[in-house]
Amino acid sequence: MAKINLTVNGEKRSADVEDRTLLANFLRDELNLTGTHVGCDTSQCGACTVHVDGRAVKSCTMLVAQAEGCEVVTIEGLAKNGKLHPAQAAFTECHALQCGFCTPGMIMTTAALIKNHPAPTDEQIVHGLEGNLCRCTGYLNIVKAVKRAAELQGK
Amino acid sequence: MPAQLRTGAAANCVMLIAIQTEEKACRSPGRLAVRVNIMDQHHHHFEVGGAHLSRLEDLRLIKGEGCYAADWTLPNQAHAAFLRADRAHARIVSINTDAARKAKGVLGVFTGADAVKAGYVKPLSFLTFAGKDGKKANIPERPVLTGDRVRFVGDLVALVVAESALQAQDALELIEIEYEDLPAVVSPRATLKAGAPQLHDNVPGNLAFEQEAGDAAAVEAAFAKAAHVTKLRLDVTRVAPNPMEPRACAVTFDAGSGKFTIHSPVQGINMMRMQLAAYTGVADDKIEVVSRDVGGGFGQRSIAYPEYVALMLAAKSLGRPVKWVSSRSEGFMSDSHGRANYIDGELALDKDGTFLGMRIDWIADLGAYLHPAGPVSPMRNPVTCLNGVYKTQALFGRWRVVLTNTAPVSAYRGAARPEIAFAIERLVDEAAAQMKIDPAEIRRRNFIPTDAFPYKTPTGSVYDIADFHGVLDKAMKLADVAGFAKRRSESEKRGMLRGIGFSTVIENSGAGMFPKDEVRLEVHADGTLTAYSVSHSQGQGHETTFAQIIGDGLGIPAERVKLRQGIGEQGLIGNHTGGSRTIVGAGTVCHIAAKKLVEVATPIAAEQLGVEPSQVTYDKGEFKSAAANKKISLGELAAKKPLTVTGEGKFGSTFPNGCHVAELEIDPQTGVTEVVSYVTVDDCGTVINHTIVEGQMHGAVAQGWGQIFGENVVYDSDTGQLLSGSFMDYTMPKAGWIKDIQIAEHTTFGTISPLGVKGMGESGCTASLAALTNAVMNALRPLGVPPLDMPLTAHKLWQAISAAKKGK
Ligand code: FES
Ligand code: FES
Repeated sequence: MAKINLTVNGEKRSADVEDRTLLANFLRDELNLTGTHVGCDTSQCGACTVHVDGRAVKSCTMLVAQAEGCEVVTIEGLAKNGKLHPAQAAFTECHALQCGFCTPGMIMTTAALIKNHPAPTDEQIVHGLEGNLCRCTGYLNIVKAVKRAAELQGK
Repeated sequence: MPAQLRTGAAANCVMLIAIQTEEKACRSPGRLAVRVNIMDQHHHHFEVGGAHLSRLEDLRLIKGEGCYAADWTLPNQAHAAFLRADRAHARIVSINTDAARKAKGVLGVFTGADAVKAGYVKPLSFLTFAGKDGKKANIPERPVLTGDRVRFVGDLVALVVAESALQAQDALELIEIEYEDLPAVVSPRATLKAGAPQLHDNVPGNLAFEQEAGDAAAVEAAFAKAAHVTKLRLDVTRVAPNPMEPRACAVTFDAGSGKFTIHSPVQGINMMRMQLAAYTGVADDKIEVVSRDVGGGFGQRSIAYPEYVALMLAAKSLGRPVKWVSSRSEGFMSDSHGRANYIDGELALDKDGTFLGMRIDWIADLGAYLHPAGPVSPMRNPVTCLNGVYKTQALFGRWRVVLTNTAPVSAYRGAARPEIAFAIERLVDEAAAQMKIDPAEIRRRNFIPTDAFPYKTPTGSVYDIADFHGVLDKAMKLADVAGFAKRRSESEKRGMLRGIGFSTVIENSGAGMFPKDEVRLEVHADGTLTAYSVSHSQGQGHETTFAQIIGDGLGIPAERVKLRQGIGEQGLIGNHTGGSRTIVGAGTVCHIAAKKLVEVATPIAAEQLGVEPSQVTYDKGEFKSAAANKKISLGELAAKKPLTVTGEGKFGSTFPNGCHVAELEIDPQTGVTEVVSYVTVDDCGTVINHTIVEGQMHGAVAQGWGQIFGENVVYDSDTGQLLSGSFMDYTMPKAGWIKDIQIAEHTTFGTISPLGVKGMGESGCTASLAALTNAVMNALRPLGVPPLDMPLTAHKLWQAISAAKKGK
């Protein structure tokens, strides 16, 4: 067992967990933050993407013990003071979600992407989304939403 | 009454038909939404804030507040893990579960013996009709945990339930099994050969079912007098539907009432309950299915999988809720696969390119067992649209359902509609090339003319209304087919091979297997409404579309209508979402229910207003009496007296159709293909929400695209091992694959629904397989490359190009 301390969506959390507990499972099972989804077991789909110290990370590919002392933000913590993050607003505006299962991961990836590239090119977008799979949208509206999110962020 | 409404609308719309083209810019810049309005009094525009209404379901989903199956936490729940066969075909000599039972946290271990004892051995099958020579299907048993034999990699051997999921997984490794390996067969053609390994004692020759359709003699005569015959092998590969949400299921059993509650992702609760009841012998009303958000379906969610039934067994025996969440690796092995239809086709033509007859020989590979509806799609849908969009008179086909040592196959977006469309459209295109006739021209010569509807096809379908010429013309214009030759020579100068490909397709939708579709409306005192339906969204946006239809019917904003699906206690009858039929069924019933609500509420309003019902008019959520100068709103009425109505309707087949044009460039140095333009023109009848329709088209075309250029489930031909068992080995479409799709509509007002809708969720798959393949062959044919099988990977194209060059 490991004792861990970390901040999740601005709140300090500590817990005793089995050493092998993944960050994704900790968020979902221990903190009941089920907005972080698990869509694969080989680190390909990105449905589990969260921010760890400001970087987009696949939470299924990280032990929670590795997040000791870190600031973790999940989809539930992205909107601030009741205001949607630009990435969230852009996804609904551009119809970039259908079933919504990939969406939390897509939005967390997008939020990090537009922070690093405030005016992303098509190549940067496609590269940035490489680790996120969506089966519903064909990605056309997702690419559009990333651009729109960047625009909204600049406003 | 609903029936009357329908007939009336149908009759009127046929009589009053007048086509007028209206072009207007769609919301997205640079895109053109072209629409045809059929002018009659029943035509609905759904323009009021609605044509591009943002989705009402989005807010919770973008905030991470959705509720998918793995998100359920039930009080005192235990966790399950399944032990699966690691080989394709073997006899189980012995199973030793002693160590697993003693492992930390383990509550129970179940094996085939438990499944057999419970009698959970025979899944429901919808393949009940007679086939060739009146013979019924041979349906194998499938104990929910296999008894003495495993038949595919992933077959269920044992179930462990423990306090935690990790403990359950750990304990799986302690189960000892002694297998005696048997030879395996994974090829659908090899499985029919004499001497092939046999899967089930009651399925001799691995042939579960055989049927014929059409007129063999007429086809014989047509081929005898043909000036030209085109023959092709048209294998439509096995793919993995892979909705992004893995399967999951949590089951509770209440010993007091004897009732099971099953939380799982579904396409409709009734379909799930019916199958679970049949598998277990538990009465329908002792099974409740609960489902909220569903992370994609594409056909994969309509099955009561043996895992779910095994969990029922465990929940009952342990007296605890039991939850299982599939990993993606398990999903690749054991979720239903799609397509896997292996077709030989022949088209006979006269010297002018008129189609005289078509013959097909179809092998449907259903895997190791029959999923309930799995074999029905390839037996039914291709027959319904066997002539495609053409007036070909002589048609004949033979269909065989075969079993192999592979994962069971079931419906996947289109469910054999894409396969028959692919077969027809590939034959047509190859015939045109062989006879040196323009591919658009050969289609025009053979289209069912626009004035011939309603059109009875040789296999007995009635296409109600369509305009194939108009659809093709519009697509050719949008795709600038006239400028293709110039673009091709420009590509040539850069050393690139350019091709263009068409498909003009039709598919059946609308009709469902349940006796009717019901939608219940409940009005609340605050003026909002709750609508209940059975048909379940897996991403199609029902909460928005249904609210728009109801809002339109009542003259109130869609935002005031909240749709709830998957609520068992409502006891509604209705179809699951599948076959693109939901808009025709439940969607139309939303309209009928809204009208019924006004009808039912009018006398109540009159009573409240103290006037005769004839003096009351309804408009925009309010009942008014001009005479008494009084009014009362729907909400106020509901505050006085509960106000609930149930609308219902039953609908026959609709026939959405369309034309897709793909243009692409292939680099002969690498075999890499880039699709430079993709145009869709579809007739899905009335469009309720253009944004949603475009989204459906994007997703479906992407799935067709994936299948043509990469997706493929591969089993090792000797060992039967699954070689494409994760996203590392299975090609999923990614961002950037498709750069743009130009989408336009050319709609006729369907006659089956009073809304004029026809359905559209699957048309993107149906049309894209052939359009993309035809474009690739158009690019490669000048080099002498023979017809190629999907997937058209860079490697395969490069090899074909190199071989063709060497041959010259
Ligand atoms: S769940 Fe983390 S990448 Fe798929
Ligand atoms: S919206 Fe369904 S997987 Fe992306």
